[in-house]
Amino acid sequence: MKLTKEQIQQLYEFTRKHYVEHYDLQTELVDHLANDIEQIWKEKPNLTFEQARSISFKKFGVFGFMDVVSERQKAMSKRYWKIIKVFILQWFGIPKIIITALMFLSFYSICKTAFANYILLSILIILSLYTFYKGYLLQKTLKNNLKKNGKKWMLEEMIFRTGMGSFLLLPINFFNFINIFHKESQIYTEWFSLLYAFLFTFIIILFYIVLEVLPKKAEKLLMENYSEYIYL
Amino acid sequence: MGNQKLFKGSLQTIILKLLETKVKMYGYEITQKVKEITKGELTITEGALYPALHKLEAEGLLDVEVVKVDNRLRKYYKLTENGKKETVNRLALMEDFLQTMQQIVNPKLA
Repeated sequence: MKLTKEQIQQLYEFTRKHYVEHYDLQTELVDHLANDIEQIWKEKPNLTFEQARSISFKKFGVFGFMDVVSERQKAMSKRYWKIIKVFILQWFGIPKIIITALMFLSFYSICKTAFANYILLSILIILSLYTFYKGYLLQKTLKNNLKKNGKKWMLEEMIFRTGMGSFLLLPINFFNFINIFHKESQIYTEWFSLLYAFLFTFIIILFYIVLEVLPKKAEKLLMENYSEYIYL
Repeated sequence: MGNQKLFKGSLQTIILKLLETKVKMYGYEITQKVKEITKGELTITEGALYPALHKLEAEGLLDVEVVKVDNRLRKYYKLTENGKKETVNRLALMEDFLQTMQQIVNPKLA
């Protein structure tokens, strides 16, 4: 006996109730449960759909789908970082390396001025404010997407929540970094100038990719990463 | 079952081996295949199978293809080029491990 369309929809609902929020993972688990229910029916045809579903779900153990969800999140986070890495590398290849080099030289020059601390701190303040503002806008877009499609994708959530928010606090950590090393001296040494020039160039590129590039390319990235996307 | 503990550490290698023999497989099919080959001696638990598959996918060893079957979507896994190479490596490692275990467990035979 095969499951009906309505029963498949009920299985989606069932996974949602058991804390599987993302459509990509729901789809895989729904197919698994459906296969198992059909197999159970072959051996015990008298069982109802709910009874067979309950037997199948118990096989996932006491924590239900929780282990599967958390491991999936880890795996997807790895993929998210891999995507970021691909975009970062573009900035170290031709032609973008020219902009990277110019940025590096600008930051290096700033570090050589007497106002280095003030300028770098101002950049960090602007970057922090922009990150929070953009983070808010991206969250809003994510909510609208969910309303429109009714489906949540794990990678989409990572893109619009900027790696689950881990980037939002990064500029603030840089404040401490500057304060710790430069309480007394105002002029940066050669090594610190090079280090800061590198860090600031890197953080600007990273934030540009995370806050601007990835959200704009979200649709394309989802299509590349989810082959089920074409069935929507 | 005591066997299950020994089996758990080899789960990824088993998945790779199965995918080497069959072009593409989906999660449930893998659990059934293992049951069939081992005549029910070993069963892959659902809570362990999908994390293993997702890990292999994240490592770039597996590729995914989603196909509409009956009235639902089915996610098939297949080996990537890297996956094929890694399968050879992991199977060789497994062979070595089994031989070493043989030396410990049954020194006369080894």
